[in-house]
Amino acid sequence: MADENENEPEREILAAEYAVGVLDLAERVRVRRMIAEDAEFAELVSKWEDRLAPLDAGTAPVAPPVSVRSTVAARLFGETQNSGWWHSLGLWRPLALAAIALLAVSGLFNITQLTQPPQQGATLVVSLESPDSPVRFVALYQQDGQSMRGSALAGSPGEGRDFELWYVPEDGSSPLSLGVLPESGPITIDLPPDIAARFAEGATLAISVEPDGGSPTGTATGPVVAAGSAKPI
Amino acid sequence: MPGPILPSEGFNFVGGRKTGGVTIKSGSDIEELIARVVLRDRQAFLDIYDATSAKLFGVCLRILKDRTMAEDALQDIYVKIWRNASSYRPGKYSPMTWLIAIARNHSIDIIRASPPVTEELEEAYDLSSVDPDPEANAVLSGEMRRVDECMDELEGQKADAVRAAYMEGFSYQELADRHSVPINTMRTWLRRSLISLRECLER
Repeated sequence: MADENENEPEREILAAEYAVGVLDLAERVRVRRMIAEDAEFAELVSKWEDRLAPLDAGTAPVAPPVSVRSTVAARLFGETQNSGWWHSLGLWRPLALAAIALLAVSGLFNITQLTQPPQQGATLVVSLESPDSPVRFVALYQQDGQSMRGSALAGSPGEGRDFELWYVPEDGSSPLSLGVLPESGPITIDLPPDIAARFAEGATLAISVEPDGGSPTGTATGPVVAAGSAKPI
Repeated sequence: MPGPILPSEGFNFVGGRKTGGVTIKSGSDIEELIARVVLRDRQAFLDIYDATSAKLFGVCLRILKDRTMAEDALQDIYVKIWRNASSYRPGKYSPMTWLIAIARNHSIDIIRASPPVTEELEEAYDLSSVDPDPEANAVLSGEMRRVDECMDELEGQKADAVRAAYMEGFSYQELADRHSVPINTMRTWLRRSLISLRECLER
């Protein structure tokens, strides 16, 4: 038994040492970089965290002061709430313009719609992306309309999987499917009337990775790879 | 809103806020809430906070042994949870394990950056004498007992070292000092112990 660990792969030992917490700061930083870059290694760490987790069961919960909750909420949703990555004008405008150009070329979007007087309702753009994934999708919606035009700009769901688009209700109820997305190119998405009625500035869309043909359950089952909220153009 | 409400996985999810009604949520409730946080659902995030902040605060106190530091850490931890929610992979491991790992790792980073003056703080907040939560004890899972049994298979001092490292975030150097052995000896002890532990758990 004494020598068994001599053959243990170094990565397994390192994952265990990180999970148990004995490494010094420099080693911890190095391990975290490995976790970010190497999914297989990240899995070793997760496994160790899972093995050791029962040790936390005996730790008594202690209610933190309520000020912590309000400070966290203020930090995340307070005055700075408009500075989130998806609110950045610099980020979505070029994408929106690229999408409009693409859709105009494809005949799916009549560029004159943009210059029409706004009594038809504003045109909204939703730029969906995430800092953690390469997936990018842009959707355009003419308010009062029943369909939305969209275009995938980057990202692939992987073999045997599909991207599925979701409308995320503001009231926190379950996301509603808007259908499976093609991997590339423009698409017209029909909006059910109840969603069209609610779709306004600030409405949130998200894309998840689902089994081939879309979620079998009607609710998102896979990881969410992009999200964004509607802005007037 | 996710409804019901079973304790699971040996964790006690007591909410940090008195909202009336039951605040214990099951792992699958938490999992659903994390999925909604990924979709930037603020209410879901606050629900996670209410369901888990007392547990995570307990973990921060255990490692940091200082209330003010633990409060600051808890803030940063929930900001991280909001920002990194998409890195949680549902279905595979308990969402509570994921949340606690974020809290432990953040707390350990803090003490690595500025080691605490251990003795004073232990007096100020004597964690060794904190009784495990009775409700948590009532739902202690088989997994917990299994880890305990496997710990018992390790030699006493070595089990102590593994436990102290995990529970209090001691570094190799601190463990070596506590046990009065050279750091390389401690490294060998701990590595062997972890591998034995894994073998026992997989048996």
